[in-house]
Amino acid sequence: MVDVTTILAGLGDALSLTNLLFVIGGVALGQFIGALPGTGPVMAMAVAIPFTFVLDPLAAISFLVGVNKGGLFGGAIPAILINTPGTPDAAATALDGHPLAKKGKPVKAMKMALFSSVTGDTFSDIVLITLSAPLAIIALQMGPVEIFALMIFAFSIIAGLIGDSITKALIAAVLGLFCAMVGLDPEHGTPRLYFGYFELFDGLPLTAVAIGMLAVAEIFRRLANIGKSILPTIEIPDTQDAWDKRVSLAEYWACRYVMARGAIIGTVLGAIPGIGSTAAAFMSYASTKQTSKDPDSFGKGNIQGVAATEAANSAVVGANLIPLLAIGIPGSITAALLISAFKIHGIQPGPLLFEQQGRLIYGLFGAMLMANLMNLLIGQASLRLWARIISAPESLVFSAALVLCITGVYASTGGMFGVAVMLVFAILGYVMTSFGYSVVIFIIAFFLGNKLELSLSQTLVILNGDPLAIINFPVALALLLLSIFSIVWLGYLAPRRARKRADAYNNNPE
Amino acid sequence: MLLNRLSGAFVVTLGLLLYFMIIPMHTEVVDYGWMRPQSIPNACAILFVFLGIVQVLFPTGATSVGFFELLRVSLFAIVTMAALWAMARYGFLAITPIFVGALMLLVGERRIGWLLGGVVVLPLTIWLTVVLLLDRTLP
Amino acid sequence: MKLKGLFLGLITWLLLSVPAFADWTPSGPITLQIGFDAGGETDTLGRVIAKEMESQTGWDIVVENKPGGGGIAMFTGIAVAKPDGQTLGMGVNMPILVNLVLRGDKLPFNLESFDYLATVARAQVAIIAKSDAPFDDLAGLIEYSKSNDGALVAFDAKPQELLMKYVDGETGAGFKLVSTKSSAEAIQNLLGDHVIASFAAGAHIPYIESGDVKMIASANASRHGYAPDTPTVVEQGYEIYVDPYFFIAAPAGLPAETKDTLAKALHNAITSDAPKKAIVNALKTDPSDLGPDGTQKMLTEGVGNVKKLFGK
Repeated sequence: MVDVTTILAGLGDALSLTNLLFVIGGVALGQFIGALPGTGPVMAMAVAIPFTFVLDPLAAISFLVGVNKGGLFGGAIPAILINTPGTPDAAATALDGHPLAKKGKPVKAMKMALFSSVTGDTFSDIVLITLSAPLAIIALQMGPVEIFALMIFAFSIIAGLIGDSITKALIAAVLGLFCAMVGLDPEHGTPRLYFGYFELFDGLPLTAVAIGMLAVAEIFRRLANIGKSILPTIEIPDTQDAWDKRVSLAEYWACRYVMARGAIIGTVLGAIPGIGSTAAAFMSYASTKQTSKDPDSFGKGNIQGVAATEAANSAVVGANLIPLLAIGIPGSITAALLISAFKIHGIQPGPLLFEQQGRLIYGLFGAMLMANLMNLLIGQASLRLWARIISAPESLVFSAALVLCITGVYASTGGMFGVAVMLVFAILGYVMTSFGYSVVIFIIAFFLGNKLELSLSQTLVILNGDPLAIINFPVALALLLLSIFSIVWLGYLAPRRARKRADAYNNNPE
Repeated sequence: MLLNRLSGAFVVTLGLLLYFMIIPMHTEVVDYGWMRPQSIPNACAILFVFLGIVQVLFPTGATSVGFFELLRVSLFAIVTMAALWAMARYGFLAITPIFVGALMLLVGERRIGWLLGGVVVLPLTIWLTVVLLLDRTLP
Repeated sequence: MKLKGLFLGLITWLLLSVPAFADWTPSGPITLQIGFDAGGETDTLGRVIAKEMESQTGWDIVVENKPGGGGIAMFTGIAVAKPDGQTLGMGVNMPILVNLVLRGDKLPFNLESFDYLATVARAQVAIIAKSDAPFDDLAGLIEYSKSNDGALVAFDAKPQELLMKYVDGETGAGFKLVSTKSSAEAIQNLLGDHVIASFAAGAHIPYIESGDVKMIASANASRHGYAPDTPTVVEQGYEIYVDPYFFIAAPAGLPAETKDTLAKALHNAITSDAPKKAIVNALKTDPSDLGPDGTQKMLTEGVGNVKKLFGK
C-alpha cells in the first residue's frame, strides 16, 4: 500500500545526520534518566514532550523513541546494581540481576540485560514493521470479554512467584488488588476510599507506590544495615576473571530459547492495547523458571532470569506501536504519550496514517532500528560508567538514591502528596517484606487491578450478567482454561517436581 | 510462628474493619449496574478475613523481623518524614543538604570528601538540572 | 522553588522596565497549574499557551501539573491561593460541574470560589457507529436497540453515560452502556465490533475521513465544524447535551485591573499562531475564548445542564 520510493525516502530521512543526533541524544538521555533511581522512561518522555514541539516531526518522534528505548534499558541498571527497581518490570529483572551483582558480577548482569533487551526490542520492531496491519486486525478482535480472560490469565502467573506460603502470597495479591480500588470506580465514576484527599480521585499514583515499595523500602533497609566500616556499594574483585565481566557468545546462545520466548510473549501482549509490560515480564520470567532444569537457582542469580524479563519487557515497546500506527489506538502509557506528541505536530494517528504520512512512518521505523543499535553501543559505555559510580560508598549511594526517588516522584506526581504516598508505601513495603509477604506479588496485583475491574464490569454488561454466556466467546474461554492450567502447573506441578529432584539429590548427593 | 499468627490476626482485623466500617463509609451507593463501587473492595475484605484466619490457624512461611533493623529503619523513615515536611515549607535547596548530611552522618560516614559530595554536589546538581535545564518545579 | 521564586522575581523586577501591560504587572512568577498529568493534551496546551504568553508579555510563567480527579485536586488548591493574579489553574469544566452537582457538600469550593479568565477550546463530543451499521441517526439507533434486546454503546466519561441514560429514559431503548477509560478505547471496541455505537471526543475524526466510521449525532450544544450536516442530539429531539470546555481560572477576589490584564494577555496568547496550531492539532477545533464573562456564564449554565443530566 505504500510504494518503495516512500519507504526509501523515509528510511533516508531517518539516517540523516541531524536525525541520528536526535536518536543518539534521546537514547543517551533515556539511559541516564532511566538509570537514576526513582525515574523511568515514562517520566523522561513526559518531560521531553513539550521540548519537542519546536522540532520537526521526525526529529521529535525519533528523539522520543530514543528516550523510551534508552530509558527501558536504563531502568534495569539500578534494579541490578542496588535492587531499587522503579517499575514492576524492573522488579522482575532485579529478582536475578541483583543476586548476580552481589556475587561481584554486576557488569555481566547488566550486559545480559542490555543484549536481551536489544534482542527483544529488535524482534518486536521487525514484527511491527512487517506485520503490523494484520496483527492490528487480530488485536481488534480482543474485546472486553477476551481482555478480561487475559487479565485472569495474567493474574494466574502470580502462581509462579509463590514462595514458601500460599496464604501469604494470596494475602499480598488481595492487598494489591484492594489498593488498586482507591479512586473513581470504573463503571459509575464515583470516588471511593479517598479519605478527603482529592488527589486520590485518580487512584493511588502508580509511580509513587511502585517506587516506594520497591525502591525506597530497600533503600531504608540498606541504610539501616550499614555497619561500622562503610563499604563500596558493589565491589568487583580485582582478581576477577575477565569472563565474569562479559557475556560470551556461548552464554548468549544458551539463552536463545529464553529470549525468543520472552520476545514472543512481549510482542503478543504488546500488540493488544491495555495489557502492559508488567504481565509480559513476569509471564516470561515465570515460564522460564518453571521450564528450567533447575528452577531453584532462580532468584539466586540465574542469568536466564535477567534475559527472560528484559527480552519480554523490551519487546512490548515495539509491539505497543502496532495498534498505535495501524489503527490509532495507544497500547500503553508511553504509546499514549507518543500519540500526544504526534498530535501536537498535526499528525493524527488513525487508519489513514500510512497513506497520509507514509514517509514519516518509515522514517520512524528507521529511527527505531537506529535507536536499537545506539542503545547497544551507548549501553556498553554507560554500564561501565554506572559500574564505576556504584563503587562509591553505600552511605552516599543510598542517600543519593533516596533524594532522587523523592525528586522523581515529586516531578511525576506533581507535588508533595505523591511523595507522601511513596513514603507510606515504603514503610508498608518494609513491614510486608519483614513479615514474609511478597511486595512483588502486591505490585503485580496493584498494577493489574484497575484493568481487571474495568474489564470485569464491561464483560458483565456485554454478557448481560450471565457468566455462562461466556460460551459464546471461544478465545476468552480458551484463555480461562489456560489460566487454570497455569495455576496448576506453576503453583503445584512444577514446584513438586523441583522438590522431588531436590530430595533425590539430597538422598544421593553423588 | 508467633509473628506469622500475629500478621494473620492483623489481616483478619483489617478485613473486618474494611467490611463493616471503612468501605461503607467511604463508598457511594449506586442503584444500577452489575458491578457496584463496593463490589470488589468487599470481596477483598472477605478474602482478608478468610485468608487471615487460615494464616492464624495454620501459619506458614518465613519471617525476618529484626528488632535492631526495625528500629533503625523507623529512624530513617522519621528523618525522611521530617525532611519532607521541612522541604514543603522551606524549599528543596535549603533542606536537601541538611537531609543528606543527616543521613550520611547517621550511618557513620565521616570522610569529608564523600560528605561534601552528598551535601553540596548532589542537591545542587539535581536543582540545576530540574529547575533550570528542564524548567520543572521542585518543592 | 522558594529561592528560585525570589531570585527570578528579582530579575523580573529588574528587567521589566517597560511592561507590556501598563495597568498591572505581576510582582513575581505566575504559576499556571494544570489539573492533569504531564505529557497529556491539556498539559501540552497549557505549556504552549504559557510560553506564548511569556514571550508576549515578558512575565515569567511557571507551569505545574496537579493531577487528581480531572482537576478537582488542583482547583481545591487554587480556591485557597492568594488572589494576586500569580496563581492560575487550567482545567476542564465537566468533572468540576459533575462533582459540584453530585457531592458539592464535600468539595471545599464552589463556582464562586474563582474568578474566570478565559476558555481555551471546546472538545467535540460525538456519537458514532461503524459505517456499515444499519442506522444513521439516533432514532435508528433507538429502533435497533429495541429490536435487538439492547444495543451496546461505549462511553468514555460520566456525562456521556448520563446523556445516553437520559435518551434511554425518554424512549425505553434499553441501551447497554459499556464504560471505557478513553475515546481511543471506545473506538477500539467499536472497530472490533464489540459495541454497536460509541462516544468519542475528537479521536474519531480520522476514522470519519477514512470512511470506517460515521457520525450519528453531535453531543455538544451545536454542530461540529468538520461535520456540518450531522445534527445534534438536541436537534434530534432530546433536550440534552455535553459541552466540555478547557478553561482558565484564578482564585476569587482578583483586583479588577489584574483580572482585565490577565484576561487580555490570555486572550492574546490563546488566539495567536503557535497555540492555535496546537489546539487545532490536538482537539480538531479552533480556539474559542469566551472571555471572563462568557466563561463564568458557561459554568453557571453548565450547572443547570449537568443537574438535568443527573435528573436533579
